[in-house]
Amino acid sequence: MTGDATPLPAFRRMSFFNASRRVFDLSLGEMLWSRRTIFMALIVGGPVLLALIVKVIESFGMAALRVNNQRMAGFSIFGVIIWALFLRFIVPVLGVFYGTALMADEVEDKTITYLFTRPVPRGAVLVGKFLAYLACTFLVVLPSVMVVYFLLVPLSQVPATFGKLLIDLGLLALGLAAYGGVFSLVGSFFKRPLVIGLIFAFGWEQVVMLIPGSLKQFTIAYYLQGLVPHAMPSEGVTSILQGLFQQNPPAWVCLAWLFAFLGGFLYLATRVVERKEYILEQ
Amino acid sequence: MMPATQSGTGNREPGTGNALVHADGVSKWYGQVSGLNNVTVSIPPGVTGLLGPNGAGKSTFMKLMTGQLKPSQGTIRVLGEPIWGNPEVFARIGFCPEQDAFYDRMTGLEWVTALVRLNGLNDAEADAAAKRAIDRVDLMEAANKKIGAYSKGMRQRIKLAQALVHDPELLILDEPLTGMDPIMRRKTIRLIKDWARAGKHIIVSSHILHEIESMTSNILLINNGRIVAEGNVHQIRDLIDTHPHTVYVRGANPRALARQFLTEDDVLSMKFEDDAVVVETARPDSFYARLTELAASGEAGQIDEVQSPDDNLQAVFKYLVKQ
Repeated sequence: MTGDATPLPAFRRMSFFNASRRVFDLSLGEMLWSRRTIFMALIVGGPVLLALIVKVIESFGMAALRVNNQRMAGFSIFGVIIWALFLRFIVPVLGVFYGTALMADEVEDKTITYLFTRPVPRGAVLVGKFLAYLACTFLVVLPSVMVVYFLLVPLSQVPATFGKLLIDLGLLALGLAAYGGVFSLVGSFFKRPLVIGLIFAFGWEQVVMLIPGSLKQFTIAYYLQGLVPHAMPSEGVTSILQGLFQQNPPAWVCLAWLFAFLGGFLYLATRVVERKEYILEQ
Repeated sequence: MMPATQSGTGNREPGTGNALVHADGVSKWYGQVSGLNNVTVSIPPGVTGLLGPNGAGKSTFMKLMTGQLKPSQGTIRVLGEPIWGNPEVFARIGFCPEQDAFYDRMTGLEWVTALVRLNGLNDAEADAAAKRAIDRVDLMEAANKKIGAYSKGMRQRIKLAQALVHDPELLILDEPLTGMDPIMRRKTIRLIKDWARAGKHIIVSSHILHEIESMTSNILLINNGRIVAEGNVHQIRDLIDTHPHTVYVRGANPRALARQFLTEDDVLSMKFEDDAVVVETARPDSFYARLTELAASGEAGQIDEVQSPDDNLQAVFKYLVKQ
């Protein structure tokens, strides 16, 4: 053990983005190899398993799914999985479990001290961890969507549908970001963020979507739903499904609102983190 | 040793220009519970020990002076600047917290490098600084091991490395010697003294007078959220020497340790607890010195951990509060 003190370079003030990027570097590995990621892998494994079952059924010449007595083709089933499983269930679940834990995990593990006693704004800590959440969920969710796609869609249909797949991937990414933004605020503000997050995602959002009127405009699902018809194929069977979404606003409005949710809630979350005292349990 | 006044200012003027930390009427409440109670104190440059039993308010005071908590009342300035909501001051401060919390999947080197990158160093500079800091705490051989596989003493040392990696002006150390074996304690104390000799400032907390005394003679005594006394350690030393001192020593061979302790005339009593021996001594100084020699020689097997329960101080605090 030596006591020499070789001089370091003078302190260089970092931009908010640069500080966030460095927190991202620190957080990504921890987040990616956490137990929560195993949980996420299990969740996204569900649609892959379902696609495998469909593939096996269809290999015997049987119809895996019929709507109004009409057999659904591979890409239509893929569209249903994207909407019913990924957008309505997996994306909100991941948003709740990761978004609410961005700060809560660090507080519970008592590692927040190391981040809050460095010369970076607290808001940059949150944004860095949010970026790590996005990278982590994209790395697991988007490949699983690709797997589902290639299991369900015959190779002959790939050239015609690949563009739609990219739109779906973009939609999922936007959904993860928007839900993550909302739940990062919930996680920064409340003591029991997970419960509140679950109530929002599977109580408020689900119930309000069934009620006629304008309340549904206060949900993320409404705007994600508004983008679904644009992403879905327009063949005969799926037009029945599209009928469900006829009263949705135009795509640009949905996009604008989703980005507003993301930016607005993330900004509010950084303000909360800047001002809040995190008292670690002794 | 000055028994502190109600405001705790002692013989220093509040607002002293060169104070490392200046607290002015600082109180901190956790709901109905008081963590710190109307503390006014200026901590001078050099090494200062913050001494008090667990729950006395040491950690609360340290969290306030590291900007983790906001005072419920009063103001606190560190290195002349307000600390709450002012992250840039942390370029000049290194903090070693009490809690045993880490990113266990990272190696020691990865962790220290990642943290010092938050100080604005580029990758090459951060890597070099982290290696230098880890070398300072004598942990180079384990630098590439995962922190989850570290012993308690190694975890303490890597925590110390992250605190000093950016060469801060002020090191704030919350119970830094907890869980270290005697040899590592001695090395860490030497490191802290070397740091002070290099013109750096240190505020170190402990509930063990012997530890604080080995680093500095300037102490703040804290109890029940108040600064009870401040000043030179020697007077309190005399007080504490009149009370038996309990030391918990965990090692590979507690019976061999006990045999060695029996030869010491200052050992008043002993008892065994699992793989440890708990000793009551009348002269902690000579006992700790002998313990370090024993650890170095290996005569009584490996010594893994030394702890001193905080009730050693209670009698002294009672005495001071009555003054």
